[in-house]
Amino acid sequence: MPTLPLRSWQVGFFLAALLFLLLPVVLGGQWMRIFTSTACFTLAAAGAGFIYARLGMVSLTQVGLMGLGGWITLRLNHSTALPFEANLAIAAIGTAVLGMALALPALRMRGLYLALVTLMVAGGLEILFTAYQFPNGGAGFWGVGTSFAAEMRRPALAKTDAAYLRYCILLVVIGFVLIEWHLRAKPGRAWALIRRSEAAALASGVNVTLYKTWAFGLSGLLAGLGGGLLAGSLGLLDASTFRASESVLLFALVIVGGARSWLGIVLAAVLFRVAPGLLNNWGVDADLALVFFGAALLHAVITAPEGIAGQIIGLLSRLRRRNRGQA
Amino acid sequence: MIRLENLTVRFGGLLALDAVSVEFTAPVSGIIGPNGAGKTTTMNVLSGFLDSKGGRVDVEGTDLLSLSAHARTRWGLRRSFQREQIAEDLSVRDNILAMTDHSRASRADKRADLERAIEFAGISDILAKPGAGLNTYERRLTDLARCVVGQPRLIMLDEPAGGLTRDEAAHLGDLILGINDLTSAKVLVIDHDVDLIERICTETLVLDFGKRIDFGPTRSILDNPAVRAAYLGFETGAAADA
Repeated sequence: MPTLPLRSWQVGFFLAALLFLLLPVVLGGQWMRIFTSTACFTLAAAGAGFIYARLGMVSLTQVGLMGLGGWITLRLNHSTALPFEANLAIAAIGTAVLGMALALPALRMRGLYLALVTLMVAGGLEILFTAYQFPNGGAGFWGVGTSFAAEMRRPALAKTDAAYLRYCILLVVIGFVLIEWHLRAKPGRAWALIRRSEAAALASGVNVTLYKTWAFGLSGLLAGLGGGLLAGSLGLLDASTFRASESVLLFALVIVGGARSWLGIVLAAVLFRVAPGLLNNWGVDADLALVFFGAALLHAVITAPEGIAGQIIGLLSRLRRRNRGQA
Repeated sequence: MIRLENLTVRFGGLLALDAVSVEFTAPVSGIIGPNGAGKTTTMNVLSGFLDSKGGRVDVEGTDLLSLSAHARTRWGLRRSFQREQIAEDLSVRDNILAMTDHSRASRADKRADLERAIEFAGISDILAKPGAGLNTYERRLTDLARCVVGQPRLIMLDEPAGGLTRDEAAHLGDLILGINDLTSAKVLVIDHDVDLIERICTETLVLDFGKRIDFGPTRSILDNPAVRAAYLGFETGAAADA
């Protein structure tokens, strides 16, 4: 089995720079929007992946939290004159607070039971979004009008779709750096100990309650950021995007891609958003992607615990070793 | 001085600790007893992982039971586990550094503490190794470095020589004997290796079925017929001599 470097941020940074430069140039129309939403879901996937890989905990609420971030961003956009960046920051922080509240059951639960609790929260959010929809400039607290949609402001530097895609990629990089910064510092060491065992963490002076809450807050912040960016991209959001089943699918794809590396997280988001788009383009029912994802998950669980990213990095390591041997 | 008073722990119908009282004064003390005697349970109560039904633990004037588990570590309690708890994702250096993260010492003091612990355990050549790549001996040494780093006041080692060869266990014993000189901390050791206990522990507590069987200087404890019957399996002094 290939050994995946614990800190694969160099690979992620290089990939992001390449995408930042090339994607807005080569893509057009529908694909520009698909890749923008891929960037948004990358942030949510990063949150789910880091909680799973670093704390060994499963959160199935990420897409629901994205919806919450999107809801707050839209609500602020239509009811205040705050710039997009301020709305986005408030949405991310608001979602982080809900993420921290989610950590409360996590303090006592692990494994399947925690996953079920987070799934129920995702289900609750799905019901709320379906019942009240997303603000579109209408009156009242929910801000939903029936016949119009007010304008969605975008950042001053990213008015066009191409610029907005670059803006999203930049925020994805910032999100990755934020996680990496945490992992290299005190919280990362505390989370590694919690993953080993809570007894080990307590015996090292770690306040387990604080650091679990912190992790869920960070994960929620990233999801909220992704949701806010998605709102900025589309201008309107639909409840069907944030179903609980989407959270489960995103988590499964994080496992397929590889939860421990940024490359795996990006692959998960690409599979989540781009693969169905490709199938549609080829005239094949996009739901067929679920069959492939199921097979890929089976493969990952049985033979590739580090996901596709682990296999790619393992292959590259072997090639590098072989080249070094020949030299 | 470590004073335990009337520690009592019950798991359902099982009395795991039955009003155990003892006062350790030696730099290195031992706790021995057969499996299920209550040795690890005692450490778990001191660590804050289990609650004692009444009783008190006084270490150098601090009521340990009044502190939360993580606060005890910040106070200066350190422990190792029967199955060592090295974080596999972290390097050896980060595993040790994690112990100083939550202390209020200055950055310079933490760095000095870290270097001192690394030098004491003799693991400077494996600092960059991830926890997942360590062998049993390296894990035990890393565990020991984690215990002595910072400003420990009480160090509890639960079967520190478990899984080690005779030579490795002897070297570990030498290191344990040096802990008090290095840190001034009191050390409590649980181990089934009676030779190790006899060599490094000045005084020893013997437990059996949660009860205190005996306590005193280690040599005289090991000669006690009741201890030999409970722990070593000899029924009489004559049998022991045979």
